[in-house]
Amino acid sequence: MMRALWLLTIKNLKLLLRSRSSALIIIFAPLLIILLLGLSYNNSAQFGLNIGVYSTAFTEDVNSFAQVLEEKEFTITRYNQLESCIGEIKSNNIHACISVPESLEIADNQQKVVTFYVDPSRVNLIGIIQETLQEKFSLKSQEISQELSDNIISRLLETKETIIREESNLNAIKGKTASAASSASSAQETLKGASLQSGENDIVVVNDTVVVIQNLLQEANDLIDNAKSSVNSAGIPEDADREEIRGYLNQAKEKLDSIHGDNQTGELALLREKLNAAASAINSASSKLMEIDASLKDANQALASLQASLNSIRANIERQRVTDAQTLASPLVSKIERVSQEGTYLNYLFPALLVLVVMFSSLLLGTTLVMIEKNSPAYLRNFFLPIRRINFIVSIYLTNVILTLVEILVILSISLFFLRDALAVIPSIALVLFLAGTVFTFLGMAVGYLFTSEETGVLASISLGSILLFTSGVILPLEGITPAIRQALDYNPFVVAEKLVREIFIFKNPLSSAWLELGILIGYAAVLFLVIWGIESLLHRQLTQRFLRKYHKSAKVKIEKKKELVNS
Amino acid sequence: MALIQLKEVSKCYRNNTVLDCVNLTIDDGDILGVIGQSGSGKTTLLNLITGFIEPTEGQAVYFSSAQEERNLNQNLHRIKRFIGFTPQHNSFYPKLTVKENLWHFGRLYGLDRKMLAINIRNLLNFTRLNDHENKLAEELSGGMQKRLDISCSLVHKPKILVLDEPTADLDPILQKEILHLLQEVNKQGVTIVIASHQLDCIENICNKAVIVNKGRVKLEGLLEDLRKPGVKDHFTIRVETDAEKENLIERIRVLPIKKIIDKGKTLVVYPRNIEKTAQEILAIIQEQHLALNDLHFKKMSLGELFERIVKEDED
Repeated sequence: MMRALWLLTIKNLKLLLRSRSSALIIIFAPLLIILLLGLSYNNSAQFGLNIGVYSTAFTEDVNSFAQVLEEKEFTITRYNQLESCIGEIKSNNIHACISVPESLEIADNQQKVVTFYVDPSRVNLIGIIQETLQEKFSLKSQEISQELSDNIISRLLETKETIIREESNLNAIKGKTASAASSASSAQETLKGASLQSGENDIVVVNDTVVVIQNLLQEANDLIDNAKSSVNSAGIPEDADREEIRGYLNQAKEKLDSIHGDNQTGELALLREKLNAAASAINSASSKLMEIDASLKDANQALASLQASLNSIRANIERQRVTDAQTLASPLVSKIERVSQEGTYLNYLFPALLVLVVMFSSLLLGTTLVMIEKNSPAYLRNFFLPIRRINFIVSIYLTNVILTLVEILVILSISLFFLRDALAVIPSIALVLFLAGTVFTFLGMAVGYLFTSEETGVLASISLGSILLFTSGVILPLEGITPAIRQALDYNPFVVAEKLVREIFIFKNPLSSAWLELGILIGYAAVLFLVIWGIESLLHRQLTQRFLRKYHKSAKVKIEKKKELVNS
Repeated sequence: MALIQLKEVSKCYRNNTVLDCVNLTIDDGDILGVIGQSGSGKTTLLNLITGFIEPTEGQAVYFSSAQEERNLNQNLHRIKRFIGFTPQHNSFYPKLTVKENLWHFGRLYGLDRKMLAINIRNLLNFTRLNDHENKLAEELSGGMQKRLDISCSLVHKPKILVLDEPTADLDPILQKEILHLLQEVNKQGVTIVIASHQLDCIENICNKAVIVNKGRVKLEGLLEDLRKPGVKDHFTIRVETDAEKENLIERIRVLPIKKIIDKGKTLVVYPRNIEKTAQEILAIIQEQHLALNDLHFKKMSLGELFERIVKEDED
C-alpha cells in the first residue's frame, strides 16, 4: 500500500511539474507574493500618510506645526484654500487635511482650534489617521502649554527679583518712619513741657480775664461809639459838646486805667511768660517737626519707588493674559470634521464592494470564456472561418460586458433599496463600473490566452484578483508600504475604479472632475485590448496546432487501441 | 483542372522534418486519399493543403477560377470560403443544437439567411439529420455527430472538402454510411481529400491516392495506376526433364524477368511486368509443350501496395 501511495504521489508530482503553468502558479506564485509583500512592507516608517495643511497664512507657527508632522515621514502639502485641501481628500490624494490657525500664540483665554478633516469612508484608515494625528497634535499642544507655563514662571521670577530689589526701599522707609516717630514723641515731650498754667485755676482766670477784657473793650468801644454818635447827631455848640465828649472820653480812660491797674494784668504777664516758654517749646517742636517732615519726605520717596515697582509687577502680571487653567493645560483643541456625510459602514464600503464584485466576475468570466472557446471542439473550425480573429476577441468581450452589465444593474437596483439617495449618481457609477469591467475582462481574457488548462487559468485569475484586492488598500492599509511601491499601486485598476466610485458615490463629485482616472481606465482597456490582440495573433496558430496535436494524439491512441482489439 | 498544388513542399518542426519535398496536385472532382501510417505526415499534409500551416520550404498554391496560380498561404482569407475541413475529432459546439451549429457556421461564412436556410434544409436531408435538428449536438450518436461535423464543413458549399480520418472511430456500418455520404458529396461537385489509415475505405471511394511514408510521398496518382501488378505476380511452370528446364530458362532469361526460382520439377518465374511478358512466356510454354501449373497474376490491393512500400522503406 505504501508503495502504491508513493508511486501515485510521485506520479502526481511529475504531472504537476510537467504542466508548466500549473507549476508556475502553484510553486512560484506564493513565492512571488511573499517577495512582493516583503519588498513592499520592508519599511520602518509607521504610516506614510499624506497630510494637507491649510492655513490663511503660513506663519512660523503653522510651519512649525507642519514640521512636527513631517518628522514622522508624513508628506505635507500646504494649501491656501480649505476647499482645495478637502477636495484633495476626496480625490484620495491626501489622507487628512488639517486647518491650522494662522497664529498658535494664545493671546487670551481662548483655546486655539485645529480642525482635522478626514474621510470616514476610508474605514480601515480613519482610526489610524486620527490616532496618529492626535498624537502629533498633542505634542504640539504640549509644546505650547509648556511655553505658556514658562512665560508664567518667568513673570513670577521677575516679580520675585523686583520684590527683593524693593526690600531695601522698604527698610529705608521703615528707618525713616521710626526716626519720624521718635522725633514726633520728642516734639510731643517738648510740647508737654510748654505749660501755660499759673495755678490750678490758671486757665479759668485767664478765661475770666479775657472775658473781662473783652467786656471792657466792648464797653470802651460802646462808649466811643456813643461819643461818635453824639457828636454826629447833636448840633451842640462846640463847648458843650466838647465837654460832653470829654466826659465820655474820660470815662473811657478810667475804664482803660482800671483794666491796666487790675490784678488781672499780672496774670497776663505770667501768661506772657508762659507763652514765651511755650513759644520756645514750640520752636523746638517745630524743628523736630521739620526733621519729621524730612523723614516723611524720604519715606514718601521710597514709597513712590515701591509703588512704581508694584505697578511694574502688576503690569508684568497683567501682561500674562492666559490665566485660564484649562487654556494653560490644553492651549490647542482639536476638532474632527468629516468630509462626507455620516453614514453606515455599508455606505463607506459600498464603492469597494461594487468594484470587487465587478472585478472578480469580469476576471473570471473573461478567463472562462476564453478557456471555453480555446478548449471547445469547434476551436479548430473557427480557424477556417473567413472572419478576422479580432471578431473572436471582441465577441468574448461583448459577451462578458453583457453579463457584467446585467450584474451591475442587479447590484445597483438592489443597492437602491438601501441607499435611496444614491439614485442621481447611479448612471455615473454604472459608467465607471462598465469601464472597470472592461479593464478586468481584458485582464481575465489575457490570463485565459496565456494559460492552457481551465483550472490553472481560473486559479491564475483568482490569484490576480486577490493580488489586486490586497494591493488596493481595501483590506490592508497601503500606508505601511514603501512609498515608491505605494505610488505605483495607485495605478492598480481596482484602486482607480474604487476611487472613482467613491468620489461619485460618497462625495457626489461629478464625473467630469475625475477625467484623469477615467482616462487611466480607458488607457488600460485600450492597452490590454492591444496586448490581447497581440497575444492572440502570436499564439493563435500555435494554440490551434497544439489543439490539433492534442486531438490528433488522442485519436491516434484510439486507433491503436482499436487495432489491438481487432488483432486480439 | 487543378485546384491546389503543393510544389516541393517541406515542413520541419525544429530539426524534425515531418514532410520532405512533397509534390501533389489536387484536381477538380477528385476524391484523393492520403494514406500513411500514424506519424507519417498525413495530417501535416492536410494542414498544408488547407493552409493551416505554412511550408518551411516550397510553395502551396491554389488556382483561381481563371486558373491563375496564387499562393495559398498569402490568400488564406479568400481560400477559406472554398475549403471545408473536417478534422479527426468532432469540431462543433456540443452545447448547441444541430441546427444552431449549422446556422452559426453558415452565418460566419457570410451566407445570407435565405440561402443558408435552404443549405441547411438540404444538408439536413442529405445527411439524414432532419429529425434531430433540434437536438443538442452532444446528444447525437457517434455517426450522427460525424455527419453533423461533415455538414458543418459543407454548410458554405465549399469546392474542396478535406477530411482527416473521417471513419477512424466509427463502426463498420457507420464507416460505410459516411463513405457513401462522401461519395454523394463528391457527385455534387465537391473535391474530396481524405486522410486515413483505413486503406479499404479509401480504396472503395477514392479515384486518386497519395502514399506517404516517413515524411515523403512514395506514390501518387490514379488508384488504377497505383494498383498495377505487383512483385508477387508469377508463373509456375512444370518441367519433366532437365533439358526442358534448361531450354526454358535459356529462353525466358532474355525476357524482362526479375528472377527464376528452380524448384526441381517446377520453375517459378517472376517477370518484371507480367502484363507485358505474359504473352511471350505463354508462347514459349506452348512451343515446348510444357505444363503451366500455376499462373499468379493479380493487381495488388492498396493495402499490399502500402505494405510493400513500408517494407521497402524499412529495408
